[in-house]
Amino acid sequence: MTELKSILFELSAADGAAYVNNAAKTAERMLGAFADVERNGNTVIGKMVGESDYTIMLDAHIDEVSFVVTDVDDEGFITVQKAGGVDLRILPAQIVTVQGKEDIPAVFCSTPPHLSSGDTEYNDISKIKLDTMLGEKSKDIVSLGDVVTWRNKPIELVSNRVTGKAFDDRAAVACLLFLAKRLSGKKLPMNVVFAFSDQEELGMRGARTASYTVTPDEAIALDVSFATAPDVSATEGGELSKGAMIGISPILDKFLTEKLIAVAKENNIPFQSEVMGGNTGTNADVISVNKSGVKTGLISIPLRNMHTPVEVIDLDDMVSVCDILEKYILSGGGMDV
Amino acid sequence: MFELLKKLCLADATSGDETAVRDIIISEIDGFCDWKIDNCGNILVEKKGKKRSVKRLMLDAHTDEVGLIISGVTAEGCLKFKTVGGIDTAVMAGRRVRINGKLPGVIGIKPIHLLKGDDAKKLPKEDALYIDIGAADKDDALKYVSLGDRAVILGEWIENEEKILSKALDDRVGCAVLIKLLREASEYDFCASFSWGEEVGLRGAKTAAFALNPQSAIVLEGTTAADIASVSGAERVCELSKGVVVSFMDRSTVYDREYYNRALSSGLLCQTKTAVSGGNDSGAIHLCREGVRTIALSAPCRYIHSASSVVDKRDITAMYDMAKYMINGICSGEIK
Repeated sequence: MTELKSILFELSAADGAAYVNNAAKTAERMLGAFADVERNGNTVIGKMVGESDYTIMLDAHIDEVSFVVTDVDDEGFITVQKAGGVDLRILPAQIVTVQGKEDIPAVFCSTPPHLSSGDTEYNDISKIKLDTMLGEKSKDIVSLGDVVTWRNKPIELVSNRVTGKAFDDRAAVACLLFLAKRLSGKKLPMNVVFAFSDQEELGMRGARTASYTVTPDEAIALDVSFATAPDVSATEGGELSKGAMIGISPILDKFLTEKLIAVAKENNIPFQSEVMGGNTGTNADVISVNKSGVKTGLISIPLRNMHTPVEVIDLDDMVSVCDILEKYILSGGGMDV
Repeated sequence: MFELLKKLCLADATSGDETAVRDIIISEIDGFCDWKIDNCGNILVEKKGKKRSVKRLMLDAHTDEVGLIISGVTAEGCLKFKTVGGIDTAVMAGRRVRINGKLPGVIGIKPIHLLKGDDAKKLPKEDALYIDIGAADKDDALKYVSLGDRAVILGEWIENEEKILSKALDDRVGCAVLIKLLREASEYDFCASFSWGEEVGLRGAKTAAFALNPQSAIVLEGTTAADIASVSGAERVCELSKGVVVSFMDRSTVYDREYYNRALSSGLLCQTKTAVSGGNDSGAIHLCREGVRTIALSAPCRYIHSASSVVDKRDITAMYDMAKYMINGICSGEIK
């Protein structure tokens, strides 16, 4: 558990937006200890060779929601656009890092009460400027196209829960790295390929090229999903601490999904079912239609406050994900279904 | 002074729970002046100068900051709260908090993915927000917190050559300047209060002024600066880097005209507010007993009452310079 947490914390703390993706570098280094690794842009692919030609691809995305600079005005205030689905309502007075010629902190302007109507609509990010606290000097450091990311480091809460940025989807990446270590040195019935794909938040782009490159026989996508909270009902999400969420959807392979559930049941691993009516909003949507088709499953980790700098997960749920995948792979995965 | 300001800002002291900041202040001023803690939590100070003052002058800075008070626990183990002082909902959701000076938590918000139409553009009402400490359920949460516990919203301390970003700059800037004045030798006698409870209705300053019974007062504060993009002219109210703010009037006080004029014409780095807005301990002090001639010296502060307030170091230095100028002017009788 401590090891899983430290993997997650190191990945979460790293910036993982476009251009320089430090999270990808970190994940590449970690995965390199157990697999043959290659890089395609910020997508990291690592292969562990098994005893058959059958290949399973395990996918988790390495990018995070972020912003991109579109203007720096005469006083040094910055305009940004979203790179991923950021909630504008939480931006005022939020601190971020601008990856300019050097990394600099900045704060989103918050309109003082005497100028706000009291019923503000947050629908236009170009009106919420960034203050670098450097005045006009920010022009020397910040250029158009520079990336802006959340800034806070992960910390522990009580009851084995943790909070930080980019747990979507570094929690899943951490699970896979932990799994790679567990599988290392074991006889694998199949090739196991790990894909840490880029640009999921911009429309599942990295997973398209990764699944094209790998051309797996089957794939399991790992992502995070909504967890219940005082403002999120049981019909909208799964529950924290109740185990891995196994996705059930018409776009996912029925038999493969059934085997995942059977493995969890047989081994008494905590899990919950997440039923969707079609697209899952995860990389499974694009991997499943790669080339002539890939039978695909989906496992998610329940998470609160998605896409904010204060995402919350339970480390035990991550362990459940690792446990299910390990048993699933060692028992032949989808080879026999 | 900025090292001291950092120490003061990083301590948590919501109104009515100012002990952490009070302890720092006492450790800083002890030995440089006579001080006592009054019935309600003000630090009342007598500073001996080289000469006697022609007027009894009181300086004031408030020790409290805006924050949250835990008011309930949900079945899920999340904490309901009420705000202590005025905090905009927009600067609460999606932030980290610290409870009782040590326990971390976050203020959650429903993921944008699950919201439709106007709900996605509007903030939830304050009473819909909650703090998540990670507790599994209500009983688990109550192992760590009790109703009435306090929390502050966390930012970071970020400092560059000119500016400082932190929580609680309102009014730790005033506290830091007042501490500096008390630690130095003074030309004249004056008294002072580090007042509790400004953010919940100027409560400390009211009784401090009664106890100290001054004829004149200088209030050291932080005030809203709106010198941000898309805001221009008078709507900016005041601007960072343009010096200490001396206002003629705000929502609680019409300031002493002579003090105002003398401060503005001092030649020191200063500005006035271009709006009648805000208020501070002056509102309580200037109406004490027969009335007290009062001036407020404020550091312009962006994003005030958020955990990421921003001030300019030059403005704080200017506040110190102006306070010294006014103390000497009022106490010597040179400023009538």
